[in-house]
Formats: sequence, structure tokens, C-alpha cells
Amino acid sequence: MERKLLFSAKNITKSFYGTQALKGVDLEVHEGEVVGLVGENGAGKSTLLKIIIGVQPQTSGEMFMQGKPFAPADPMAANKEGVGMVFQEQSLIVNLSVGQNIFFGHEKDFMKYGVVNWKKMYEDARKVLEEVNCGYINPKKKVIDLNFATRQMVEIAKVVNMTKSEHGDHKCLILLDEPTSVLNEAEVQNLFKEVRKLTAKGHAVVFVSHHLDEVLEISDRIYVYKDGENAGNMDIKDATEEKLYEAMVGHSTTTEYYHLADQRKPEEEVVLETRDMGVSGVFKHCDIKLRKGEILGICGVVGSGKEEICSVVCGDVKPTSGEMYVKGKKVSYSSPAQALQDGILMIPMERHAEGIVRNLSVAENMALSNAPLLSEHGIVLKKKVDEQADRWIKKLRIKTSSKDAELISLSGGNQQKVVFARALASEADIIILNHPTRGVDVGAKEEIYALTREVVAQGKSVILLGDTLDECIGMSNRVIVMKDGLITGEFQADADEKPSQVSLVTLMM
Amino acid sequence: MDKTSTVSKKGVWKKRLMQNYSILVVILMLIIFTILNPNFLNSSNVVNLLSDSAPLMVLAAGMTPILILGSIDLSLGSLCSAANVMILVMMRKVFEVTGNTYGSFFISLIVTLAAGTLAGVLLGVIHVKLKVPSFIASLAFMSVWSSAALIISSSSVKLPKALKVTSDWYKIQIGPIGLPLILAVLFILGYHFLLTRTAFGRSIFAIGGNERTARIAGIKVDRYKIIVFAINGFCAALGAMFLMVKAQSAAPTVGDSFTLMTISAVVAGGTSLVGGAGSLLKSIVGVFIISIIKNGMNIVGVNAYWQKIVYGLIILVAVAISIDRTSRSRVVK
Amino acid sequence: MVKNNQEALTIQEEFANKIKAENRREKLIKWAPVLVLVVLVVFFTIARGSAFASASNFVTILNQWAIPLLVALGLTFVIMIGSIDLSIDGTVGMAGSIAAVLLMNNMNSNNFGVFGIIIAILCSVFVGFLIGVIHVKLKVPSFMVSFAFMNICTGIAYVAYSGTPAKVTDPVFAALPKMSFLGIPLITWIALLMLAICIYIQEFTPFGRHIYAVGTDETIPRSVGVNVDRVKIKVFTLAGFLFGVAGVVGLIREQLGQASIGTGKMFPAQAAVVIGGTSLAGGKGGVINTIIGTLIMTVLENGLNMMGVDSNIKTGIQGVIILVAVILTTKRGSTIISK
Repeated sequence: MERKLLFSAKNITKSFYGTQALKGVDLEVHEGEVVGLVGENGAGKSTLLKIIIGVQPQTSGEMFMQGKPFAPADPMAANKEGVGMVFQEQSLIVNLSVGQNIFFGHEKDFMKYGVVNWKKMYEDARKVLEEVNCGYINPKKKVIDLNFATRQMVEIAKVVNMTKSEHGDHKCLILLDEPTSVLNEAEVQNLFKEVRKLTAKGHAVVFVSHHLDEVLEISDRIYVYKDGENAGNMDIKDATEEKLYEAMVGHSTTTEYYHLADQRKPEEEVVLETRDMGVSGVFKHCDIKLRKGEILGICGVVGSGKEEICSVVCGDVKPTSGEMYVKGKKVSYSSPAQALQDGILMIPMERHAEGIVRNLSVAENMALSNAPLLSEHGIVLKKKVDEQADRWIKKLRIKTSSKDAELISLSGGNQQKVVFARALASEADIIILNHPTRGVDVGAKEEIYALTREVVAQGKSVILLGDTLDECIGMSNRVIVMKDGLITGEFQADADEKPSQVSLVTLMM
Repeated sequence: MDKTSTVSKKGVWKKRLMQNYSILVVILMLIIFTILNPNFLNSSNVVNLLSDSAPLMVLAAGMTPILILGSIDLSLGSLCSAANVMILVMMRKVFEVTGNTYGSFFISLIVTLAAGTLAGVLLGVIHVKLKVPSFIASLAFMSVWSSAALIISSSSVKLPKALKVTSDWYKIQIGPIGLPLILAVLFILGYHFLLTRTAFGRSIFAIGGNERTARIAGIKVDRYKIIVFAINGFCAALGAMFLMVKAQSAAPTVGDSFTLMTISAVVAGGTSLVGGAGSLLKSIVGVFIISIIKNGMNIVGVNAYWQKIVYGLIILVAVAISIDRTSRSRVVK
Repeated sequence: MVKNNQEALTIQEEFANKIKAENRREKLIKWAPVLVLVVLVVFFTIARGSAFASASNFVTILNQWAIPLLVALGLTFVIMIGSIDLSIDGTVGMAGSIAAVLLMNNMNSNNFGVFGIIIAILCSVFVGFLIGVIHVKLKVPSFMVSFAFMNICTGIAYVAYSGTPAKVTDPVFAALPKMSFLGIPLITWIALLMLAICIYIQEFTPFGRHIYAVGTDETIPRSVGVNVDRVKIKVFTLAGFLFGVAGVVGLIREQLGQASIGTGKMFPAQAAVVIGGTSLAGGKGGVINTIIGTLIMTVLENGLNMMGVDSNIKTGIQGVIILVAVILTTKRGSTIISK
């Protein structure tokens, strides 16, 4: 069946401060088509979607919608051209009604004598809902009273409405970013029904998900992205999960990169253990053992629970079930300060929001976690703070104009090194590395890997959440895989016998 | 792309100016007021001005770390009022019973300081543990302490002649500078030392700069925040004592206007509202700015009604200058 | 390929259940203010019998309700966008004082009549506008800007009458407090008129919807092209208008234009808005909630007065009430930062 080309993106690149999120990707979508988009975390899917919807511009490359050049300055402009997106984070205003959400920002269109004619708006809302076969949803109901699946449908109705123009047969492109993460199986099927009705009318849908089975079920064609590049695109009749996995992960990087020669066997002593631990609604039944001198990697997609486990272990969040033991002693932490006293410290994922104090100096940022070590009789000695700063700046090759420079003036990679220095300078011997190389250039990444090996050789233990599967496998002694809040697998990752990425990905998605 | 600092020489100077403009303001004010009325620099006026600053100095000491945290305490004035009447009323009662002048003073002082500290702890706990925003928690407490003050004494009370001897120390002078101001400055310098040289104090800057980071880095955020509020309560009571001794009387509303003055002083000194930056040394300068303005306006004959307008404008200007507008991602509410 | 969908469902179900439980709690809390009002009325009726539950006291309560309602209405919109306005005491007093010296009065020879009132209200509108602009454009937290303006406005009020408050001698104006319609005084009708306008604004204009959106999450309205800055500035300006009206109404009642017309007005308004159910975080609640909230505060004041409670203690009690109300409705969690 020959379908008309609706949308195309050619050679899109996107760079952020020295890292290239997209290295020149293409995408083509035809009318009436569902295009699936898959790839690991960080492969570039969300970045591309954000570019298409106009949240951020591309660094280079062109886009075309219905044959005409397409370069939206913001989501509203994208909507006018017929492109709409349902974001992963819900974008409804919960205290307003369904109808008010659908037409939010366009209330003026219903004004009559200075008063908004809600009756007419609700009539129109009903029509919009029926278009996407959601006539059963009452437009007068407040969004906060709806369950997530229904809210998702309202989002789709809203987006479809926003992108439709009055001019006749205008076909739209609807982008769905992980739309099924909060839905159960029945609700997913319902969503697919709506998608098919949309495409039956000639509209096109781009479906991004890490649930490969779902992508295989609904898509006509599938694109695989890896490391910011096209790694394959196949018709649905040629696609299988195995082929997708292969395309997604590809080959692994050199052993030197992860300093495999320095990977040692951990000791027998268990320094941290969780038993049947869980946080209601996030993860459950997690049994983890961390040994002394071990690097334990945890892999999973966003929402699998791996980040939340780290929050619990480092003391930031209290578990709702299960127990934790540190060096044989049962513990319960109500703050990271308490966990630090037992030697646990986390280097957080969101550096800007949780990792640095931007206006404090490099030296001060480094001294956040170990002030008692730098004090004498309760007084923090500037001499010691400075000595510590000099030491780590030299050791980690941190590029900064001075140790008193404001941390915000350093590049991302160097900021991360400072956060690392803080963790290493503290008395923590169980360190949680939460995406430690995120936003860091390749050279600094390798330095961090070498550092991690050194740290572990000194008898400390590490829980690692890797930025990529490759990193996780390459660095760890052992890897745990999580999916949808449960541990789905565990693999030994000895230096001479690393598991294949495919076997992990199978359990992640 | 390396984002290392490429600040030009001009930029460095501008930054230094921004950070220390308060001292320039002091000099400017002195010049202006002297021009307007040469009596301003009279020795007796200078003595007056300096001694006037002591209570405000103490209050500003307590408030500064709270602003460094990014919070605020609107109840400071009322707590000060309550402590003010409490100490005098208690002194009189204890003296009735014991007949000991200095004894009654010290007992009342210690009890009042403890009460103030406790009040601070209460506010701190409700703000920190129950996550009530500080402006509303302190707003609520403002009315609670106001009522408390009126309950303790619904009208002003005088220091009885027999007890006047306990207030004599307030008049001691060392040159042009009175003992109270020296004590107040020593106090604020002591707190400054605490803030810059102990783990607790340094953490306050980290918490104010980025509370999440401080928490994850293992800083005892909750505990330290409560301590800051506790010390603030202590300062309110201490300042109240200064006011009582100076006026040799107490009144249930005497401290109310100090909330505005204290905030103006701290802000005028240069402590930023963004949190994470500020200094007690700067607040010393800020206190002098406010004192000079108050005293200067009196000398020049400006109607007292303009004072509120002036303090309000000072806050607006100082805050507008020091707010970091470059942080685009920050949502200000 | 292992697919633990059985237990995976449970995680999603757990999450969905958590949200459902939260929503159920919200629904209960929604009715709490009405319950509190009923309890108060019952309590005072029992305590003071017919003195409280009489028609004439009902009218008195309505009258006492007028100014707190006006003030709370303005504050409601500000809180709905997640900000705060501490300037009330100053703006109200300023409007009343300015009006007094512009109308025919015993201090000067002005006689601006209606224009005097309009100018006074314009002043408070302007202050509201300034607060909004400084807060939005200069990114100064709203509590600080409004705190500064509270003092500036109180100062302006003092300066306006320079020591001795002006007594309004305009005969028409002097007759206003006695005018009534259907047994309800003019003052209360003015407040009810403003209430109707506010309901209209909240429910029947796009602006009203945008207020909810801005209070919920600024990025959402921004992404559909709503000018968030403008919404915020309009909200503060509207609040300034309502505070100005409150000041003029206060002047009508007292016939004397002094800054104290505004004194103590913010507190009950703050309590009323929170108790009524409008969340400090923004995006929730509204004018109807404030109606109940202000009724609660007015009934409370009326009842406490009737019971002879010391006026010194009253403000303390209001403070405790605000505390309890906020404590019960604040969200808690380790990632929530309150400043």
C-alpha cells in the first residue's frame, strides 16, 4: 500500500555542551502509519521528539511536514502545523474539567458577550472525545477524578484537537512518548484501539516505548536508535524482538575503556543487604546483597525502580516494606545523614538539582560530606579544607581556575569530578554511583572508570547505575536487572566473561 | 565546549562592588545627613546613634542565618515584645519574693532567654518537620506572641526604682561607644565565627544554596535548620532585654516595629534572599545603615511617618539588586 | 523470556490505589470547612442561645463579614497562583486614608466626591500592579515584595493625613453607613457585588481558568501560549483593587481615614483562605471556598466576642487556627522543600 509521506526529518543533530545527543538521525512517517521508535536510555528518542514538537531546536538538519519545511519555534507553532505530542509527564491541569483541559488556552473562542459559553464548549468537547472514540468520558468531570488510563485518553483527545486545523483533510502527526507506562494490559489494548482509529482516518502516530512487545504489536514500521544514531529501520513483517535487541545494543566498547584489567574479585563479606524491600507503588520484593570490594550494577529502564532503590539505600526515602542490613546490623534511615554515619553515600543523578551547590566554591563543595574530618575541637580548619581541595584537584585532574572558584563556573564533567571527590573524601565505604558519567565527556568518563576501580580496590563497595548498558556491564562484577519494579535477573560479570547486552535487555523490556 | 570562567576584569570589579556596596552606602548616608544637618556628627548624637544600634544588632544576628536559609521570621518583633514584658514582669515578681536585685535580673533573664529559645524551637519544628512554609508559620506565631505579650502585661510597665541599679551597666561608655553596643558586636562576631568555622555554620550556607544537595550529601539538614530558628528565638529575647534595660520599662508592643527594621538591616547589608549567601559581618553594616537612617531622619526633621516608606523602599531596592536573575530555571513564587 | 506481568500489575495497581486513596482523602477534606462552620454555629448557639442565633445577630454577622470577605477575595486569587500578598494591612489603610483626605473632610478643602474614592482605589490598584511587576519581572519572591509594600503603604497612609486622621464631612458619604436594602446595609451589598464579580471572573472567563493552570504548573500554560507573566500581574492588580475597595468600605464604616483601617485585616483573611480549602501551593480551591472560610472566621469572631473572650487572646487564637489548618493541608515528603 503506497502511503503519502507526511513528515520527514533529515540528518538531525543536537549537541549540548560538548555532548552530542543526536549525531545525524533520519525519520520518515507516512499518512495512516504507526512508526515505532525504540532504543536504550540516552539513545536520543526523547531528544528527537522534543525537537519535532518544538520544545528545543536542532543543532542542524531539516524537517518537513506535508512537503513544506517545518521548524517550529515552540509547541504551539508545531500544533498549528499539525504536529502534536503526548508527553511522558501528564500535562493536564487536574483541578479543571476535561473539557476545560481540552480547550485550555483557547477559551476565547467560546466567549459570548464577555462570558465563556461553557455549554457550547462542552458540546464541542464531546465531539472531540467522540472523534477519538472516547465518547464515554464526561467532559464536565474534573481530571483529578479520572484514573490514569482515562487521563491518557483525554491527553490524546486534547492533542488531536489542538493539531487539527479547519482546512479540510489536514492529516496530523501525533507523537506518543511512553504512553503505556501507567497503563495495565487491558488499558494498553484500549489505547491501541484508539491509535488504530486515528490512523484509519489518515493521521500518523509515532510510538515511543521500551515495551518492545507493544511496539511490535502496534507499529507498521520500527526505527531503532542507538547512541544518537539510526541503528536500523525495519518493516513490521521483518521485525522480531531478537532483531530489535541486536540493533539496539550492538557491539560493546573496548576492555581498556572500562579498565577490565583492574577488575578484581570481591571479598565474601556482605556489607549491605536488603530483604524483600519495597516502596509502595514503585518497587517490591527486592533482595540485594552487596559484597565488600564489589561493584554491583543495576540496570533497567526509567521507571523500573532502580533509581528508587538507590534513594532508599542512601537514606533519602523510607521503604514501606522489607528490611535493610548494613554490615550485619539492621538499619532504618530517616535521612541521608544517618546513612552517612554508617558509611553510605550517594552521588545523585541530577547533578544540578541535587549534586552541587552552585554558588559555593570548589573547595566548599568538596567538603560538604566530611566536615568533622576536617575539624579540630569542633572548628573546621580552612587549612585542611584547602589541602583537601588541592589534593583532589590534582588527583582527578579537575579543570578549574582556582579551588575557590564558584562551582557553577566549571564544565559539567569537572563539576561531576568535584562531586566524586566529595564522596571519596568522606568516610563512606558504600558509595552509590547514580549515573556518574551523565553529561560528562569521554575523557572524563574514562577517568571516572579508573577512579571507581581504584576506590573498590581500597576495600570500598559500589552500587552502580550506569548511563548505558555497556557501562553497567563493563564496570560491574555483578549485574542486577530490574523491570517494572521487580528484579528480573542477575548476571555474573567477571572480567573475562561479561554477559551479552542482549541477554540483559531481554529482561529489561 | 569548556565552560570555564571567562569573567573580564571589569566584571570582577562590578562583582566586588555588588558584594560590598553596603559600606559605600554607609559612607554616602553619613555625608548626606551631615550636609543636611551638621549637628548630625555631634558627639552626643553619635553616642546616641551607636547605643541605639545595640538591640537591632542582636536581632539582626538571629535573622541573618534565617535569610541565608531562604526563609523568613515575621514573628521576630512580637516575640521580642513578649520577651520584653516577660523579663520585667518576672523581675518584679521575683524581687518581691527574694528582695535580691541582681538575682532577680539574672533569673528573669535566663528564664526569658530559655523561653525565647523554646519559641524558636517551636517555630523551627513546625516549619521543618511539618513542612509549613516559614512565612506562614511565623505569621501565625506573630499573632500568638502578640497575644502572649498582651496577656503578660496589657500596658507598659516601669522598672521600679529599687531595681534601677541593674540597668546601670547599660550606661557604661568606653569612649564614644557604649558597653551595650560592644557586647552586641561581640555577640554577633561570636555567631559569625560559629557560622563560618563550624560544620554546623558552614552547612547553613549549603542548605540555603541547595537544600536537596545538602541533604543527599549527608548534612543534618533538619536539625541544623531548627537550631538556626532556636538561636533566632534566643536573639529575640536577648534583644528584648537590651530594649528593656535601655528604656527602663517594658511595653507589649515595643518590639513589633523591629521585624521590619531587622529585615531591612539584614537585606541592606547585602545578605541575598536567594539563600546560600550572606554574612553576619555584612549585617553589622546593615544595622548601621538603618540606624543612621533612623537617627538621621530624626535630626533632619523628617516626619517619622516616612520611616516605614523608607525601610520598605530599602528592602525593595536591596533585594532587587541582589537577586540572581540569571537563573532562568528557578520558579519564584 | 520471563514476563513477570502478574506482579508487575501489582506495582501499577499499587500506584493507582495510592492515587485513589489520596483523591478520596481530598474529597473528605473538601467538606471539612462546611463541617467546621456548622459545628461553630451549633457551638455558639448552645453557648449563647438566642443572643447568637437571632435575626439581628445574623445581620450583624453579615456586616462583619463584608470587609474580611473583600480582602479574602483578593488574597484568594493570589494564593491560587501559589504566591502570597502580605501588603493587605498597608494597602487597605492607604486606600481609606487617601480617600478620606480627598473627600470633603475637616482637614483640608478637598471635595473630590466620587473621584476621590476612585483615585484612592486606583492607588491601591497601582500598588498591586507594582507588586506583580516587581515579583514577576525582577524575580523577587512575592512575600518579600508584598512585605516591603505593606510598610510603604502604611507609611503613605500616615503621610497622607500627617498625624491627625481626617474625618469625612461629606454629607452624602456620612449617610452611606446607614443606607440599607432588604435589611442589609449598603456596605455588605458592595461586598456581595464584588463577590459576584469574582465568581464571574473565576468561572466564566479564560483568565479564571488560566489562574488554575498557573498555580498548578507554570510550564503547562506556557506551552500553549498563555502569557504566564501577564496572568500573575493581573492577579496582583485585581487583589490591589479589592483591597482598595475594602479600604474605602472601611472608611465608610468609620468615617475617619486612618491607617488602622487596614490593621489586622490580613490575618483573618489569610486564615479564611486556607481554612476554606484553597491550598497555599496553588492551583486548588477558589472563591466559593473563601466564602465558607470567611464565614467561619466571622462567626468565630462574633461568637468569641459574645462570649466575652479577651480581645488580646483573639488574635492568638486566630494564629493557632491558621497553623492547624496549614499543617493539616500541607504535603509532606523528603523531596518537598519548604522555605
